[in-house]
Amino acid sequence: MKKVINFTLNGEVVEHAVDTNKTLLKMLREDFELTGAKEGCGAGECGACTVIMNEKAVNSCLVLAVEIEGASITTIEGLTLDGILDPLQESFIDNAALQCGYCTPGMIMTAKVLLNENPHPTEEEIKEGISGNLCRCTGYKKIVEAIEKVANDNEE
Amino acid sequence: MNAFEYFAPTTLKEAIDILNEKGEEASILNGGTDLIVRMRDGISDPKYVVDIKKIKGMDDIRIENGRVFIGASALLNDLGNNQDIQKRYPFLSKAALSIGSKQVRNRATCIGNICNASPLAGMATPLLALNATVHVFGNYGEKDILLKDFFVFVRKTLLKHGEIVTGISFEEQACLGVFTKISRRRKVDLSTVCSTVVKKYDEYRISFGAVAPTPVRLNKTEAFLKGKMLSKDIIEKACELAMSEVSPISDIRASESYRRELVQVMLRNSLSQWY
Ligand SMILES: Cc1cc2nc3c(=O)[nH]c(=O)nc-3n(C[C@H](O)[C@H](O)[C@H](O)COP(=O)(O)OP(=O)(O)OC[C@H]3O[C@@H](n4cnc5c(N)ncnc54)[C@H](O)[C@@H]3O)c2cc1C
Ligand code: FES
Ligand code: FES
Repeated sequence: MKKVINFTLNGEVVEHAVDTNKTLLKMLREDFELTGAKEGCGAGECGACTVIMNEKAVNSCLVLAVEIEGASITTIEGLTLDGILDPLQESFIDNAALQCGYCTPGMIMTAKVLLNENPHPTEEEIKEGISGNLCRCTGYKKIVEAIEKVANDNEE
Repeated sequence: MNAFEYFAPTTLKEAIDILNEKGEEASILNGGTDLIVRMRDGISDPKYVVDIKKIKGMDDIRIENGRVFIGASALLNDLGNNQDIQKRYPFLSKAALSIGSKQVRNRATCIGNICNASPLAGMATPLLALNATVHVFGNYGEKDILLKDFFVFVRKTLLKHGEIVTGISFEEQACLGVFTKISRRRKVDLSTVCSTVVKKYDEYRISFGAVAPTPVRLNKTEAFLKGKMLSKDIIEKACELAMSEVSPISDIRASESYRRELVQVMLRNSLSQWY
């Protein structure tokens, strides 16, 4: 059963007929081929599917696509403008804050909102901020450092 | 997840009409953090999903006429970060922010947590200790149910099909309170046991989650403490009584005896703050 929805996706106004039983995550990956957001657990536990919905970080596996009518959605793909990476993306690469990379899109989207809301977080606030995102590889240290570096640049 | 028809009514009346017309195969969708997981796992399989988040005026948190009102679609993050709540009822705010992750709380609602009626529901113990009232809307109009009567069994409430909870409220009160959550992991984990202890002068209200089929008030322990000056001895007696008043089970998170032990540790730590 399909329903037509209107929303903004990475800055573009979109009209799309979507299956009512598709999650936002599935719709992004299958209908728009935006495969940055990942399915880890599919149940809200891991944060690999994090996208920004109306300026808030949400687990796209816990949102039905039909629920985003009128909303603005930003995915990791939307952070790169004309081939120029977002400072967080740069910093994750420069600081080797990823290994397999599965958690990275979700981690960066969570960090993006964190820095929007609080441009100068403490280390503790960064840890608290990304506590909804699991990483099985890095041990988190480099992720926290990568976010800290961007926060420090905010200060300049 | 099986196919279903999706509705997003903008008025309560419209929502109730859809629920009544579609009958038992319709489910109310709020933040969806419980329902969508259940649908994904095939535990819930509604033919009709009625999203109540587009209904106007349901997402506010307000203090008026001597009552604190939490609307049906108010998010856990909005409740937890609300400055008035943080100032006057910090234990309520702490409970809200103890649930899930930031991403989960950006979708999950306080009312959804209560309606879901899990034995460990994070919002249940502070609201039980605040003597909250649940506001319900049905085709007959409005009615109120005391939260202490609302929970019937594991995931069962007094709500009947075709009824929507429009909010929860409690009387403004000068009180102190302590919320405690014990979980295996510090973040993004369900409670092994959770509790709220509220002190209003020499009256104590004690509620626990995950120690019985529903979140519970410990009435006998409360009666024992009423009017008493806290002392080490009195606190010990209260802890003994509290352990005998709960009926926990063993599950993947903890054994029955560990939970019972936690009850006395958590109550002792809470009461000791005022002694
Ligand atoms: C990763 C993760 C971690 C979690 N951690 C915790 C935790 O630590 N503690 C905890 O208590 N919970 C936890 N939860 C569970 C969940 O987030 C909460 O129970 C949430 O508050 C439910 O609210 P909701 O708006 O998402 O409800 P929904 O899923 O939309 O609804 C839940 C149920 O209530 C009914 N309902 C909702 N609103 C109404 C209404 N207004 N009137 C009538 N019926 C209604 C629905 O039909 C459904 O059956 C967690 C969930 C996830 C995914
Ligand atoms: S896939 Fe969404 S939180 Fe894990
Ligand atoms: S880099 Fe592999 S899960 Fe984080």
